[in-house]
Amino acid sequence: MTFEPRIVGFLCNWCSYTGADLAGTSRIHYAPNVRIIRVMCSARIDPTFVLKALHDGADGVLICGCHPGDCHYSEGNYKMMRRYPLLKSLLADYGIEDERVRLEWISASEGQRFADIVNDMTERVRALGPSPVKAALEADLAER
Amino acid sequence: MAIRANPKLITELEIYGAQDVSKCYHCGNCSAICPFSKEPYIFPRRSMRSLQMGLEAKLESDLEPWLCYYCGECSAECPRDAEPGETMMSLRRWLTARYDFTGIARLFYLSAKAEILAVILVALITGAGFLLYGFSQGSITQYNGPDAFLPASSIHIFDWILAAVLLALLLTNCARMWWFTVGRDTKVHVPLSAYITKIYLLPMHFFTQMRYARCEQKRPWVIHLVLMLSYVTMLVLIMFFLAPMWSGPAIDWRVHVFGLAATAGLLVTTIVFLRKRLKKTEVQYQHSHETDWMFLVLLIVVAATGLMQFTLHRVGLETAANINYVIHMMAVVPMLLLEVPFSKWSHMAYRPLAMYFADLKTEAMVSKEREAVRAPQAA
Amino acid sequence: MEDLKIGVFVCNCGTNIAKVIDCDAVIDSVERLPYVAVARTYKYMCSDPGQDMIQADIQEYGLDRVVVAACSPRMHEPTFRKALQKAGLNPYFLEMANIREQCSWVHDDPLAATEKAAALTAAAVMRVAHHEALERRSVDMCPNTLVIGGGIAGMSAALDLADAGNRVYLVERSDHLGGNVARADLTAPYLDSARDMLTERVTRVVRHPNIDVLLESQVRKVDGFVGNFQTTIRGKADDGAPSDRVYDIGSVIVCTGYKEFDASRITHYGYGKLPNVVTSFELEKMLRAGRVTTKDGKIPQYVAIIHCVGSRNLEFHAYCSRVCCMTALKYAHEIKSAVPGAYVSDIYIDMHAFGKGMEDFYRRSSEIKTLFLMYEKNDYPVIRKADATDDCDMLIEVNEILSGETIELPADLVVLMVGMEAREDSAEVAHLVNISRDKDGWFIESHPKLDPVATTTDGVYIAGACQAPKDIPDSVAQARAAAARILARTARGRIEIDAVFAEVDEERCSGCRMCNELCPYVAIEFDAETRRSHVISALCKACGACAAACPSGAISARHFTDRQIFAEIEGVLA
Repeated sequence: MTFEPRIVGFLCNWCSYTGADLAGTSRIHYAPNVRIIRVMCSARIDPTFVLKALHDGADGVLICGCHPGDCHYSEGNYKMMRRYPLLKSLLADYGIEDERVRLEWISASEGQRFADIVNDMTERVRALGPSPVKAALEADLAER
Repeated sequence: MAIRANPKLITELEIYGAQDVSKCYHCGNCSAICPFSKEPYIFPRRSMRSLQMGLEAKLESDLEPWLCYYCGECSAECPRDAEPGETMMSLRRWLTARYDFTGIARLFYLSAKAEILAVILVALITGAGFLLYGFSQGSITQYNGPDAFLPASSIHIFDWILAAVLLALLLTNCARMWWFTVGRDTKVHVPLSAYITKIYLLPMHFFTQMRYARCEQKRPWVIHLVLMLSYVTMLVLIMFFLAPMWSGPAIDWRVHVFGLAATAGLLVTTIVFLRKRLKKTEVQYQHSHETDWMFLVLLIVVAATGLMQFTLHRVGLETAANINYVIHMMAVVPMLLLEVPFSKWSHMAYRPLAMYFADLKTEAMVSKEREAVRAPQAA
Repeated sequence: MEDLKIGVFVCNCGTNIAKVIDCDAVIDSVERLPYVAVARTYKYMCSDPGQDMIQADIQEYGLDRVVVAACSPRMHEPTFRKALQKAGLNPYFLEMANIREQCSWVHDDPLAATEKAAALTAAAVMRVAHHEALERRSVDMCPNTLVIGGGIAGMSAALDLADAGNRVYLVERSDHLGGNVARADLTAPYLDSARDMLTERVTRVVRHPNIDVLLESQVRKVDGFVGNFQTTIRGKADDGAPSDRVYDIGSVIVCTGYKEFDASRITHYGYGKLPNVVTSFELEKMLRAGRVTTKDGKIPQYVAIIHCVGSRNLEFHAYCSRVCCMTALKYAHEIKSAVPGAYVSDIYIDMHAFGKGMEDFYRRSSEIKTLFLMYEKNDYPVIRKADATDDCDMLIEVNEILSGETIELPADLVVLMVGMEAREDSAEVAHLVNISRDKDGWFIESHPKLDPVATTTDGVYIAGACQAPKDIPDSVAQARAAAARILARTARGRIEIDAVFAEVDEERCSGCRMCNELCPYVAIEFDAETRRSHVISALCKACGACAAACPSGAISARHFTDRQIFAEIEGVLA
């Protein structure tokens, strides 16, 4: 049985979620491993969302927003851009591989690009195997 | 190598009768419905295209216009009413003018007046000539015998001279046709052996017009065949059996049966065609060029005076018969001398030749492909 | 949590969803979730019977929350919210799971798709349990409208709005109205005069008491929200110096049009080098002046028109500019009538004769003896200068596909049908009014099929060629549609805007003021006395940046609270 990664996607309503919808209306097929949660803007994404997802068993997290300069709320994606390196460095400290959490800018007309990114990320996370978080939590529980 | 396009050619073709060629938008329905259109000779669309773009050299070397019998199906199918059938007809007229080295054909097609004038002129000269000859050596009241106005032997010689002249002209034009369509085609080479083995095609197409029989409507083939065979029968009788036809008062039944049958055939079919053209009954008769009328008018005059000839002679009105004969010749001579090599009549030579050439070229192309498949390195 | 009753409705959407996803299996998996009182499927949930079913179930089961697993919420969230409202339930007690655009339409493995659909539906169920009742706000709707661009679209929209009694500010960058239509002579397919069409419009616009025509003016800023915008427009004062003025408006219509492709970018057409190769607009100039001549004043004998210059081309623009084919035919007619003996050739890839009267126009163009030559995409004709001995100025080599021959066409004058491009200032305009552009620079509409004039920013509309290449009839239709949308709102006097905005829990607020700086709309104010921040809900656009940033966790983004999103994460991974 090949390992099927489960990836949580946080997509902003105006650009990336619309872009994912466009992939749908264009019937562009991609891997079924990403489950999408809609937020209004990538600025809404609290780093704790990412941590919660990893804690609850996600093998990867994909964050998508509008291209810099095109944010519907003018600067929201810049805020995500600033948080992201801090989040990544924190995750690295926890031993979570770099390719498990990814930030991409996707516009409303980039349906194909969204599909390509989902496929690419699915394969990368598949190659990494199941997230170490689950095993670590279970071990922790067993200890107690 | 790019071929130079000449947008002006289409204006010239309009004088030859081309109608609405510009309307064609190349859907290909015409070529699809044509019963004769087959690789490598697909028409009429390709010809319409070459004409729209004015590719003169290509059109001159095309055999396609002659492979068409104008059943009219293409024009009936055309969604844009671009009249592909009439375009093919106009191309035949244009090619007739092109093959002719004298330039007379071109003159006739471009100017109806010139043709009518030429016919009248030749008719008058013929009439004057015959009358002079007759008066100089005979009596107008004598039809047969030593004092005959126009003795069969003299007419016979005249006929053969006329035949020689028109054959010389016609054959020269046929040779030019061969050169344009086969001879100078560097891509297809027809071996001499093929010419000989396939020579049967010429008389076959000429006498049976079997391709025409493949049209959906059989009647046009029948009528045209009857017309043509009647004409040929008459020609043979006149060239080879003039004396028996002339003889009297006893009747040589062998000759006269054919003669009457041929005359009847000529008269009936010519009247049928005239009627169709006047009433525009079918697609192919919607448009008539001056040369089409000239063809039928001369034919009917010749046939009618021919029948009149027979009647007057048998009834014994010898003077009238002689006068009628002069009139008859005034129609025959322009017909043979002008119409056969320079106008619509020439199709009787060009069409069977085109079918023969088309067959030869197709064979040559097929065997070339076969060789290329067998020895790809050599190709 | 109190005893909740959640209703789950899984739509088949005909075969759109049902073909890939086993809807019954989804029902089975969600029925087991806590608080689910009823779970059922239906063919078309958005249809009247579908909505009636939801309303009936709300009454029958006393549902508190509703989950609809169907198409994208961007499609039907308003529809289902209305259904809840009709049944007496707060519309924000709805959550949708996108199992069509983001599931059945993009996955081919039915098992994987069904599993994903079940997970998404479960996520929606767990999220909706935390939804709160929210009340929509009602605000004033200012009846004034800002129309950006004084071309045919801008003028048409302005007239409809002004005729209904509303004030319109028509801003035009250049010194005259009419835009690109003013550069044309006649229009296809009936060869009506563009000038007559425009004169009528321009006269009415200029004379209209309700329209303020602001020429040589630019929009500098647009602040506020739908029904309550303020816009700063820079015009020219009497002494010629720039002067800014602020106007109160309720809506914006963007009608900035297009610019033409620069033909010199295609070198093998020789534009800019060969003097007798001109663009369509340059020919219009000649036609308006009434004389079609070559550069040295001679009457051309051969004229060739080449389609798709800069369009349908991977190197420049892959799209079709829509109007050029019929415009080219218009030129065939105009040239034949200006120069009766000319031979006109039309060199095209495909003949796009899509509109009313266009196919007949194409037929009429061939009846006037236009020679049509077809070339294959990416296999362009090449133009070169002819020899001095030739009877023409240039020769065009075309790989003509209707005949299969490579031909050389004589030409004295060549007209290039240049395509439409997004204007250079379109990025600037998009930022001003907060709308997006697609990869070709055209403004993006709310929905490509069902909502072609609205944008993602409520109150801002787009019309005409700035949205995508189109002809005059379609531009006018869009402009008038945008005007109608605005009039539907102004007629009511007040509008309802979304109840979703951020809220500060002042008990938790530490007064650090981080949120004040973060808000792009300056919607968070600090009260120096109470030393607490609070959100001005009217200005808040609900991006949630403040909610994520607040170190005290004092700000909650309504309808996108941490709890709701956490529940969604749990559901998606269950």
